[in-house]
Amino acid sequence: MNKSEYLNKLTNELGHMPYGDVKDIIQSMEEHFDEGVSEGRSEEEIAASLGDPAELAQEFKDGAKFKQVIKKRKMTDNFKGPDGRGRLFVIIFNVFVGIECWLLLLAAIIAAFCFLAGDCAIAGLIIAGLIMGKLTEFLVPFIFLVLTLVCVAIFLVVLLILGIKYYAKGLKSYIRWNKNIWNYGLGED
Amino acid sequence: MCVLALLEKGDSYGYDLAGSLARKVEVADGTVYPILRKLASEGVVSTYLQESQNGPPRKYYHLTDAGRNKLNSERDEWIKFCGEVNGILERETGGKADEQE
Repeated sequence: MNKSEYLNKLTNELGHMPYGDVKDIIQSMEEHFDEGVSEGRSEEEIAASLGDPAELAQEFKDGAKFKQVIKKRKMTDNFKGPDGRGRLFVIIFNVFVGIECWLLLLAAIIAAFCFLAGDCAIAGLIIAGLIMGKLTEFLVPFIFLVLTLVCVAIFLVVLLILGIKYYAKGLKSYIRWNKNIWNYGLGED
Repeated sequence: MCVLALLEKGDSYGYDLAGSLARKVEVADGTVYPILRKLASEGVVSTYLQESQNGPPRKYYHLTDAGRNKLNSERDEWIKFCGEVNGILERETGGKADEQE
């Protein structure tokens, strides 16, 4: 196996690693080959002494996995009591932005509820009027109006179900995000 | 740990480290590179590029203070561990010697 064959095989075996990492690794190995060649060794000889590219790629990948674990552990290890900056950020962010946003969304949901209730009430009244035969004069327009109101009601119900679902989901992850910063700081280190 | 110990003697570059390690321990030359990457991501070694007399610049590896601390504590641990194992082995051979007497 010569240099380019070895490097190609290694690149293929590295597979899903981020492009920057692969480039860095290949660069290091290229340097290794160049150094060896300048010492008078053949590319085949160097490739053989480097070991199986598949095994080497696996070692690089294991190292990358380790890197992620280290990062996570650092986050918890470096934690020496509450981080004042993180907590201050959580408080200020919530007071000036966070809580307002969530209240605004909640208000929108409540408003939609009120709108739905009004819509249903009007539709109900018209239907009652139609049944009791008191609205005989504008029968066709009223029927159209009822149909429109029913459509609006269905649309609102769907919107509310989705809205409440995502509101709950969003609030949950928002609280988790806050907790993280509260406990471990802003995570810049 | 062995790579850290090699770097303790002075900054070095990949090819040189691979050679020194492979000469002393029975490993493939390539093994040193994943280790160096791992050490760099841990922050115990840092890297820099330096021109070489012939050919392209070399990537040098430097042992950081964190690396020195890590090396010292691991070395102490290793020596202690070896001492304990040696103690056990010696006592056993000593025991046998007693039996023979």
